Amino acid sequence: MDYSRFVYAVQKNDVKELNAQVDVITAVLIKFLRVRLNATFHDAEDCAQNTLLLVIEKIKEDKLNNPDSIIYYLFTTAKHDYLKAQGKIKEPVYDDVPDSYNEDGDQLYNILDDERQEVLKKCLGKLKPDLRTYISYWFENPRDEAAVVADHFGISVNNAWTKKHRILKILKQCYQKFINL
Amino acid sequence: MSSTDKDIKKQIDAYVKGQLSEEEILSLWAEFAQNPSLLEDLELEVGLKKIIEEAAAEGQVSNTQKASITSLPVWTWHAAAAAVLILIAFVQLLGEAPRTELEQFVVNTVPADQIETADGIRSKEMILTEADSLLNLGFSALVSENNDQALSLYNEVINKYDVEPYGSKAYLNKGILLYNTSEYDSSITAFENALSRVQDNRMIQEKAYWYLANALINTGQLEEARIAVINAYSLDGVFRKPAFLLYKKLNYDLGNVDLETSQGN
Repeated sequence: MDYSRFVYAVQKNDVKELNAQVDVITAVLIKFLRVRLNATFHDAEDCAQNTLLLVIEKIKEDKLNNPDSIIYYLFTTAKHDYLKAQGKIKEPVYDDVPDSYNEDGDQLYNILDDERQEVLKKCLGKLKPDLRTYISYWFENPRDEAAVVADHFGISVNNAWTKKHRILKILKQCYQKFINL
Repeated sequence: MSSTDKDIKKQIDAYVKGQLSEEEILSLWAEFAQNPSLLEDLELEVGLKKIIEEAAAEGQVSNTQKASITSLPVWTWHAAAAAVLILIAFVQLLGEAPRTELEQFVVNTVPADQIETADGIRSKEMILTEADSLLNLGFSALVSENNDQALSLYNEVINKYDVEPYGSKAYLNKGILLYNTSEYDSSITAFENALSRVQDNRMIQEKAYWYLANALINTGQLEEARIAVINAYSLDGVFRKPAFLLYKKLNYDLGNVDLETSQGN
């Protein structure tokens, strides 16, 4: 994604190019809000649209044109807009002070789609047994370093990473084949 | 695969395993924004992790169901009960319950998304004033870590446009910036100035009270912080939960009777 092309499309009012770029950025912002702030899809969609309107306006006014700044500006503005919109929601009452207080972590499962998960299950089932055992061990022991996995399977750390990437590539190819059917 | 690609794949792996810091997560999301196809890799890894974890959990359930139940002799239960009682007695006599520290409840760094900018553009009729533009430029400067420029822009808003909502927004932003640079005394003055100006804007009021309370704690003014935190809590917004926790902790540390508890008794 070339953000300088996005800036250029806004400045030159190239509607076709701008629409294509906006679709990609909107999808990224929606996933960002879904994962990082646990936003519902509709709230995330609204905030992504508000954010893009604001950013396009700023580019038109020539107040924002550095592609790197645009990325951070998009994320912080989207987060700001979402938190503002959520301002009226009440929090539950807590009876006791807990031992520690932490912010909620990222909701990575929000990125998933039920239909695509079913496809992924099928692809995992088609994987060779030794590869399935390997990738299952990798994800069943998330706290283990790659070195521990490498030691468990009697391979080098570099090979452990390579094997994992190779399995993911096979799964991705299978996954894309099913999706494109 | 290039070494940069390998690094990003390792970062995705660490993200899925919950091993990245906030800064690293933000940097990874910047990579996703640059290359949205990486989000497909993230989705694949998250999806795979979920399927494998669910399968493992189901395996555990079936193992539990198959497990045989062995009856223990009655005396073992009596011995276990006695052991628990002795343990409790030891804890009561010798142990002290672990205490939470006030620092755990205090904000370390105020995130940039708390900065007030011009109101979101929702209508084409809306006109951005120069003060709005200065606030937005201040935000851009702050995001680019150009604190001096951001401070100068907020001071310009205060000097030229000290009317609402600009005055309170500029003072709030100035307070946040000073808080993040550990200039707590100056940030307290800025938050108080924001509060003395704000009109009909609950969000600014709430942020100002909440961060004022945090700044007061950082300067050791706990009683004043307690009053600020009650005000943040009573506004009943996004800081309600942390304000309530901080309020209870301050009451505990100051040796005050917890009003909510005593009312209930």
